[in-house]
Amino acid sequence: MQIVSSGLSDVGRVRTNNEDSFRIVEALNLFILSDGMGGEAHGEVASAMAVDVINKYCESEKEDSGATVLDEVPATLSSWTRRLKNAVAQANFQIFQAAQKNPEQRGMGATITALWLKDTLLSIAHVGDSRAYLLRSGNLQQLTNDHSLVAEQVRRGLITPQQAEESEMQSVLLRALGAHPEVEIDVDEVAIIPRDVLLLCSDGLTRMVTEPEIAGALQAETVPSAAAERLIALANENGGIDNVTVIVVRFEDDANKGWFSWMRRGPAKKD
Amino acid sequence: MAKLSLMFENKLVKEVPIGSRPVTIGRSPDNDLPVDNLAVSNYHARVYFEAGRLVVEDLDSLNGTFVNDLRVERATLHDGDSIWVGKHHIKVDATADAAIPWDTGRKTAAPKINETMVLDTKVRREMLQQAAAMGERAQFSAGRMKVATLVILSGKIDGKEYTLTNKLTVIGKSPMATVRLKGWFKPKMAAQINQRDDGYYLGTGDKVPSVNGTPITGTVRLNDGDLIEICGVRMNFIFRE
Repeated sequence: MQIVSSGLSDVGRVRTNNEDSFRIVEALNLFILSDGMGGEAHGEVASAMAVDVINKYCESEKEDSGATVLDEVPATLSSWTRRLKNAVAQANFQIFQAAQKNPEQRGMGATITALWLKDTLLSIAHVGDSRAYLLRSGNLQQLTNDHSLVAEQVRRGLITPQQAEESEMQSVLLRALGAHPEVEIDVDEVAIIPRDVLLLCSDGLTRMVTEPEIAGALQAETVPSAAAERLIALANENGGIDNVTVIVVRFEDDANKGWFSWMRRGPAKKD
Repeated sequence: MAKLSLMFENKLVKEVPIGSRPVTIGRSPDNDLPVDNLAVSNYHARVYFEAGRLVVEDLDSLNGTFVNDLRVERATLHDGDSIWVGKHHIKVDATADAAIPWDTGRKTAAPKINETMVLDTKVRREMLQQAAAMGERAQFSAGRMKVATLVILSGKIDGKEYTLTNKLTVIGKSPMATVRLKGWFKPKMAAQINQRDDGYYLGTGDKVPSVNGTPITGTVRLNDGDLIEICGVRMNFIFRE
């Protein structure tokens, strides 16, 4: 499977500094996006730290050493997903420690959405309100649950999705990296197939651009860099109240298997 | 928890919290909020939660139920609304007893929150307890001890029954597939099942599975007893004790 990816970050139309960070590590097929918070320049510090720590951890753990992880997990996870989860836990702890050491960095934190692909298994680790989406056969699925107050209220049926969109409480997070020495990390796994498209984005996109618009942009622009530009432009056209960061990842059939995929997809499409 | 305060000429008569059960209003003394006034019907109206919204419903009363100034048969209530029955009115407090402190001052001088912030754990715990008290997610804890299983009814496949213990279960020909399909032209990843906090979700892969005869779009949550069909294989999704 061929993987083409592109990431882009923009300060938006209102803010003066960009607290988002992202990184694409092609050698590992690792995609990390983080949205920092904490005012002054400390949000940037936190998000950059999150991205860096996760990258380094995954880099050092990239060989399948069969490392076991002492951790209670509800369902059996692949070793890669467990590793990614550890990487995020590590990032959380380091941000927390840094904030404790430097009084001016108190209260800094970050969201994290990290995706790691091994063969066709995609590991997802997530804390906060940045999101990962999967576009598969024209259908946009959100792979992560927002850890925001309004999202939790919607899940519990206390408010409607419409009320959530209008709420002033949209920025209140229930979980973030750096707030406590330990953090609850959501993990999930998805099997990737050719023609899937992944999107990682900060809330600067999802608050400004609706899901149908996102799906439309991803379908219209089949080149990831063009899709990323289009999404950023959409967010800014609609107000751009926050930093916007997106990573678009596209999976394609290997070129040398073309005849085979033609047989599967071409005229013989019966099944 | 939200509450209703029965008022008569700005004097508080009675206060009741709104729980999972509807709050009834009427002249008959067995109502939660009895209103001693001839203009009020025996069973005049009721207030309850529906899909997260607070709703007032008039029970075919003679003189009607009013929300603020409008006569209603059924209406969604918001914090600060007044329900009028006869000369009494009932104040709606959707933010009662300050269990969620950030919500209480909202009407008056809540500063707009632009900066992202994380809730203090104590506040968060209170919020979660409050929601738990409302009986949400009860189904999840009840279903926890059960094991999800796929029972194969028919089709070319390597097993008869699969226990879904993994976070991700792949149905297909791929080496990573748990439910391994046989035969030429079968896709590597036909469909997948994800175990999440609140249940099991079936998603499309190279093929679109159908659940109980209907092709799915995106992902759907599986229910006990669902019939899944994919690539000529029919199977039942069940919870085993």
